[in-house]
Parts: sequence; structure tokens; C-alpha cells
Amino acid sequence: MKKAALGLAAALTLALAGGAGAQGYPTKPITMIVPFAAGGPTDIIARMVSENMSKTLGQQIVIENVAGAGGTTGITRALTAAPDGYTIAMGHLGTFSAAPATYPNLKYDPIDGLQAIGLAGGTPILIVARKNLDATDLKGFVAAVKASPDKFNEAHAGVGSVSWTTCTLLKGQLGVPKLNSVAYRGTGPALNDLVSGQIDFMCDQIVSVAEQVKAGTIKAYAIASAERSPALPDVPTTKEAGLPEYQIEAWNGIVAPKGTPKEAVDKLVAALDKALNDENTKKRLMDLGTVIPTAAERTPEGFAALIKRDAEKLSPALKAAPK
Amino acid sequence: MTEMFANLGLGFGIALTLKNIALCFVGCLVGTLVGVLPGVGPVATIAMLLPITFGLDPVGALIMLAGIYYGAQYGGSTTAILVNIPGEATAVVTTLDGHQMAKQGRAGVALGTAAIGSFVAGCFATLIIAALGAPLTRLALLFGPAEYFSLMVMGLCFAVVLARGSILKAFCMIMLGLLLSTVGTDLETGQERMTFGFPPLADGVDFAVLAMGVFGFAEVLRNLENPEARDVVRSKIGRLLPDWNDIKQSTAPVLRGTFIGGILGILPGNGAVLGPFASYTLEKKIAKDPSRFGKGAIEGVAGPESANNAGAQTAFIPLLTLGIPPNAVMALMVGAMTIHGIIPGPQVMTKNPDLFWGMIASMWIGNLMLLVINLPLVGLWVKLLQVPYRLMFPAILIFCSIGIYSVNNQPVDVIFTALFGLFGYLLIKLGFEPAPMLLGFVLGKLMEEKLRQALIISRGSFMTFIERPISAGLLVVAVAILVIALLPSMSKKRDEVFTE
Amino acid sequence: MSLNKIEAARSLRIRSTQDFAAGLFMLALALLALFLSRDLPTGTLRQLGPGMLPKSFAVICAGLGLLLSANSLRYNGEKLTGFSWRGVFFVLGAACLFGLTIRGFEIGPLKVPALGMLVSGPIVVLVSGFAATDVRPKELIIFAAAMTAGCALMFKYALSLPIPLAPWLLGI
Repeated sequence: MKKAALGLAAALTLALAGGAGAQGYPTKPITMIVPFAAGGPTDIIARMVSENMSKTLGQQIVIENVAGAGGTTGITRALTAAPDGYTIAMGHLGTFSAAPATYPNLKYDPIDGLQAIGLAGGTPILIVARKNLDATDLKGFVAAVKASPDKFNEAHAGVGSVSWTTCTLLKGQLGVPKLNSVAYRGTGPALNDLVSGQIDFMCDQIVSVAEQVKAGTIKAYAIASAERSPALPDVPTTKEAGLPEYQIEAWNGIVAPKGTPKEAVDKLVAALDKALNDENTKKRLMDLGTVIPTAAERTPEGFAALIKRDAEKLSPALKAAPK
Repeated sequence: MTEMFANLGLGFGIALTLKNIALCFVGCLVGTLVGVLPGVGPVATIAMLLPITFGLDPVGALIMLAGIYYGAQYGGSTTAILVNIPGEATAVVTTLDGHQMAKQGRAGVALGTAAIGSFVAGCFATLIIAALGAPLTRLALLFGPAEYFSLMVMGLCFAVVLARGSILKAFCMIMLGLLLSTVGTDLETGQERMTFGFPPLADGVDFAVLAMGVFGFAEVLRNLENPEARDVVRSKIGRLLPDWNDIKQSTAPVLRGTFIGGILGILPGNGAVLGPFASYTLEKKIAKDPSRFGKGAIEGVAGPESANNAGAQTAFIPLLTLGIPPNAVMALMVGAMTIHGIIPGPQVMTKNPDLFWGMIASMWIGNLMLLVINLPLVGLWVKLLQVPYRLMFPAILIFCSIGIYSVNNQPVDVIFTALFGLFGYLLIKLGFEPAPMLLGFVLGKLMEEKLRQALIISRGSFMTFIERPISAGLLVVAVAILVIALLPSMSKKRDEVFTE
Repeated sequence: MSLNKIEAARSLRIRSTQDFAAGLFMLALALLALFLSRDLPTGTLRQLGPGMLPKSFAVICAGLGLLLSANSLRYNGEKLTGFSWRGVFFVLGAACLFGLTIRGFEIGPLKVPALGMLVSGPIVVLVSGFAATDVRPKELIIFAAAMTAGCALMFKYALSLPIPLAPWLLGI
């Protein structure tokens, strides 16, 4: 009985698979793996972008949150799935550029082991401090940290998080890799202790800290982007404030398993491009403080280059970080 | 005071539009139904239903999501009472006496008490938020890592009181829970701890996996072994709703629970988890006959359920006044708000007064909805208990399997749950109670994190816990609880020795 | 101190097999934890290492386990009762089968494709149902079909969870 059913099943699978090849991609819903819990920054960007992409592709993009190990669990699952264009993933700076240096047992190669689709959005990083810290600007802060690193406490949201990755880069560049760093489970609790003055500074994405900076409960020294953000026009860039080498963004981008058919890749790239040109989607993303990617960054080549560039930038600091 | 009522008036003006009432109702209904499914807790529910709210205006969307949140919180206690599966940490306490009541044919009374207690707690919590939301915010900022650690120590002392039998065995379970909580990647260094090098364990043991294993699956195994015990549930179906006597008995516990839960809910970093445990401890300690607890004492349902609901609501205070999410559900609410173009921060109250007060008003309406939805449902739930057990447990199993799978979309989680089921079965055989272990597990992660944070900030000085007044005060309470809990049992043991 | 004398006067024997076994159980778990965390640095007070708490907790667990076993020699208590392996086998086996088949797996030469909820669901109900001594196979088969259909409608369609239904048949 069961054998017969399985045989029938196998026959049907073959028939369906044969049928699928003849028609154009996509013929069924596409799974987009988000390697973080729902509601987080990456998840929100994935949901906003995929909503519009679904309309263009004519098939629903289903978000599947597979959280774990700083996002590497979900990306591993996505990249080991069948390369048929029906499994894609949204990852970020941490899962692609920082992971090789942070996770020695990483099961995928973000440089050569995947098919990049395109960048979905960049989120600027800010250096923020408790409101009553002595230094009034970035120069004063850098001087104070270099003079007596032991007086400072830095907060981050756990090894592998965006705040940890970006702050480790900062500490590496300032030459104080062993500065006291306090780990929290998530950005929220870390921010709480920054507002109440238990800790001195942290680096985090603009979306998490902008409202606090505006309300004056914490202060921002600089934004680590090329240009100032319209959300916080008074905060100088690191270049203006005297630390030009500290340039980093917490970007999010879409990838597919290596070997995904060109037809599928092209359609996904076009759909992403269309979503990022859509006024409604664009406005929602910009409300989050997200920088809309340039035309070059939306291409597989541009995104792959970005992954490689940031990996090279981060790797020395992350490998030198005390563990 | 007049300002508060003017503000509440504004809030009710917004929340009482037909559309928002409907959204609140739908949210509460969906939340309740999903919350009842084992494994699918508030976080998973809100995450799943987030896309449904994309088309709504921000106020309506948040009212609906908040409704889902209360509904899921409440639905979780239904599962705890009926089948002894706590959907999340706060429902662990409800299983202790709630499920015992169900076994005595008082499932309806337990469910009714939980609903009414939650409603009363919700009403008071709404008033607290409206009147004292802004000043109470300071409480959240007073709690640094040192205070937190001391609070966790105090919480662990509650667990000793939770124990039904031997205190030594309760200690064992707490320590085992603490030990289990350290499995997984170290937050500070990223090193894997006790994972057998097995990637799915890198993030530690999931609460849902552990709870469903040691409670849900182990309970099924226990029931299969004692056919007499499980049939008791079926044969006796008592009253559906609490009578005057029940209400009289639960009034004071409800009020005390509301107060405790409300205060703990404000604390960042999931202080609300402690609420039900603290309330249960208090009720057991001040009861005339503490031995009734764990055998179906109604106070053991009324107090913790009220504390749970009050804490669930006051957890909104740090989010609404500071813009900082205190726990995972609130972080999800931040996500929901940002999708709708509102980025929470200290200025939400002044910049979006309609949203702020509309949500507070909707909290009260949501609680009313819960009562309206749940009292009629009590009859339905109780009827479900009449399904023959030979069909009931396969149904529990399929729901649990799908539920656990969908938490992280990880098939291996289902297998882990089965292993913890075996573990829970061993614990039952060895005479251990799993509840203190779960409390130890939940508090363990927070405790280690806070201990290490406090010691880094104090540069390695343990004096920080004593020098800071709030922290010292909490530690004194912890010691007092421990002494009160231990003294009678020590003297009892001595008696046993002498009378033997 | 008179307490000690009374105890000393008694012969040492296991007065509660349950407590004795429970103590050994704690001890075994503690030793396992100590073994697994042997390489983790304990760090200093100023910077606690990842091994500090696991090792401390494990040592306390071991101590409590020893105390429990020792107490079982002094105080009377419950006896250890027999295990019913039928329930363990069918119930936990059913859950494991669900985990193995829902998305498929590969262990060495053994390879199972992703069967999806439409297959894994009935497996759970059918296999676990045999744990009950009063199992009625016909009833169980109907129940399995009904439960699976219900779950598919509820989880996949009403809640739109990304759970595979039958990838080999329907492609989703």
C-alpha cells in the first residue's frame, strides 16, 4: 500500500518537475529565508521589498524566519537548498562580510559560494554615547578613549551582531581592541543602559538610535557614512568629524544558492530594481533611515563586490578582537 | 488628574471608532485561538500576523497587534490549564494549580477565574499606565545590571517556595535549569558551550522546546501510564464558571497579583517573567493552609494569571515612554511600528498623542473583549476534555510538532522536544518537579548576562551588589525568603527523624 | 548534635530508591557538563570567562546530587517504579519521525526527501496512537486524515505559516 503510494508520488514528482522546466520562472511561491527573528531590521526590510517583488514576479514571496548563530544558520540553509530560484535569502553585513572572520566553522563561502542578487538597502551606523559623557565631539571622544581606555565601557548586542561588528572595527582602528565591552542580549537592553548612563558608548544602526538622539537622551558623535542622514541632519559624518577611515554601513541584500539559473537571477534582479524604484516602498524604507542603493549596487556584480570589500575591511579587526 | 481623564477621553475617542473596535476584537480572537495552540506563543503569533496589518493605518494596526498579544498571552494559559503545556514562561505557574483543578473537574472554574482575574488586572494596569506611565519610566532607568542580577537572585529564591515536595529536590531542579541555560554560544566571546559541536544547539535550548518536552510530552507519557488518572478529567465536568465562593476566595490574590505583576512588568529585560512566580510565592506563603497549593488551589491560578496580564500591559510603559523595547514581544511591536512609519522614542507621547492614548484606551477595550470572547469559549474548551484520551494525545502531538517546527522553522527542534520529553519522563520517575527547573532556565540566561555586565562595569568588584541600595535591598529580600522557606522544612525534617 | 547520634545508630541502607537514583542522575549530568565545559576558560572576576558559570553550576549540581543520595540512606521515601517503554517508544518516536520527514534528512546512506505535512502529519497521529493500549486502528486512520486536513487548513492557509505541505506532489 505504502510502496504503491510512494511510487505514484515519485511518478508525479517527475511529471511536475518536467512540466516546471517548460514554463517560465516562477511557477510557484518563492521562499525568502530571513536568518533573524521576525520584526527585526532585516526582517522589516525583507518584508517591505518582497511585498513589491511578489507583485512583479506574479508569485508570492514567502518569508521564512530561520534564526540562529548570528544569522549563519538561515544563510547556510538557503545556500544549500536546490539552486532553482525558489529559495533565496536576505542577509546583512554580518552574515556575509563579517561571518568568515567571526565563525571559524562557517559552512558557506560568502565570496565564491553564492549567487548575489542585489543590495536592498544600506543603514548608516552612528557612534552614540551617554548624554553626560565629557567629550563634546568625536575628536574629543577619540582623544579621551586613546588616553585612558580603561575608563570607558562599550555596549554591544552580542558577538556577531551589527553593533559588535561595527564597534569592533572602530576599536581596532582606534588601537584599543581590549577596551571593556559589555555584551547585551539585543539592542534594546543595551540602549536602555546607555540612556540611564550605566555604560558610556556604543555603535548602532540609525533606526535604533535616531529618536533617542533627537530627544536628547543620548548624544551622537558621528555617522559612519559618506553623507549626513536626512533623519539626523545635525550629526556630522566621520569624515567631517576627523575619523575618515571609519566608514561602515549595515546593509541588507538578497542572495541565492550558487548555480541558480540565469533566467531566475535576471528576473529577481529586475524585480528588486523595480521594488526599489517604487515610490511607496522607497518612502517606507527611507522612513527607516535606509539609504536606497544605487543602480550599480542593485546588480549581482555590484553587490558581490560590496560583500568582498567589507569582508576585507572587517577581517583584520574581527580576527584581532579578544575572544 | 483632570489632564489624565482628558487624555483618556481622547484615547477612547480614537479606540471606540467602529473600525478600531472591530480590529481589537479580531486581534483578541485570533490571538486567543493561536495562543491556545501549543508552541505558538505571542512572539510567533504577532510575527506571523504582522503582514495582515500592512494595509491598515498605524493606530488601527497597533490596536490589532496589541489585541493579538493579549489574546495570545491569555490563550496560553488555556493550554496550561487544559493539557498542562505552558506556552511560555509566564504560564508555567498556571500549570501547577490550574491543571490540577482541571483534573478535579474544575477546568471551567479555573478558566473563568483566569479570564476574570486577567480582566480585573487589565483594568487596573490600564489606569496605572495612564496615570503613572511617565513617572514610572524612571524605575526602568534605575535598574542597572547590578540591580538586575540581585532581582534574578531573588527570583530564584521564589522557585524554592514553588516546590511541592522536597526542598532539596527543588534546589536540584533550579541548578539544573541554570546549567541548561548556559548551553549555547557565549554572548560575550562567541564560544560554543556544551553543544557537542552540534550546530542546532549553538543558540542554546529554546524555551518552547524545553517546556513542551518536560511538560507536554512527559505529561502524555505519565497519563498513558496511569489510565485511571486521565479518565478522571473526563468523567467529572463540574460548573463552567466560578461561583460566589470562588470569587470571594480569589479577589485578594487578584489584587495582589495585579500589583506585583504591574511593577515587575515595567522593568526592562523581561522583568515581567517574574510576576506570576512572585505572586504564586506570596499566595502560598500567606495562605492559611499552604499544602493546598499544587493540588488545585484557586488562589494559585487567580494571583499568577492577574500578575501575568498586568505585567503584559505595563511592559508597554518603557516602549511607549522611552521608546525602548523591554522584551522580545515589545521588540516586535517596535518592528510593527516602524513598518507603519512610527519610530518609537521618548517623544511618541507628545508627537503622536492619538497613538499613545488610543493604544492605552484600546488596552482596556482589549481586556473587555478577552472576557467577552473567553467566557463563552470556556464551555467549548471543557467539552474538548471529553475527547477520549486515545485520540486526545495524538492530537496534542500533531499540534505540538507543527507548533514547535514553526517557532524557528527547524525540524530538529521537534526531535529535541522528543528528547526533552524523555528527560521530563525521567524527572517524573525520579520525583522531581519540572517547574523550578523552567524558572531556573529562564532566569539563568538573564542572570549570567547581568552578572558579567555588572562585574565588567565595576571592574571585578562584588561590592557593587551591596553598595547600590536597590540591589542590596533585593538581596536582603532574597535572603529573607530563603530563610522563611527553609526554616519550617528543617524543623519538619527533624520531626520526621524523631518520630520515625 | 543529638541528631547525628540518632542517625549514626541506624544501619546504612537505601531507604528511598527514588531519591538515591535521583542523586546519581544529578551527579551524572553534572559530570557530563563538567566534561563538556572542560576547555572553556573560567576567566577572572573582572572579566568572567564563558566557563565560569557552567562549571560552577555543574559543581553545585554534583554537590546537591551527592547530598540527595546520602539523604536517601537516612530518610524513608518513595520507591523507584517501573518504566512503561511502550509510551516512550511510540509517542517520542512519532515526534522524531515528524522531525525527520517534514523537510527530509540525510544521514549517511539513508536519504529521505521532504515529505511535508500531508505525510508527516498522519505519521505522527498513527504512530503515536499505538501508544494507547485501547487503540482502535480504523478510528485512528480516520482521525489522522481529519487532523491533518484541519492542520493544513489552519496552519498553512489561515495562518499562512511557511510549512511545506507536500513538496514532492504539490511543489509547496
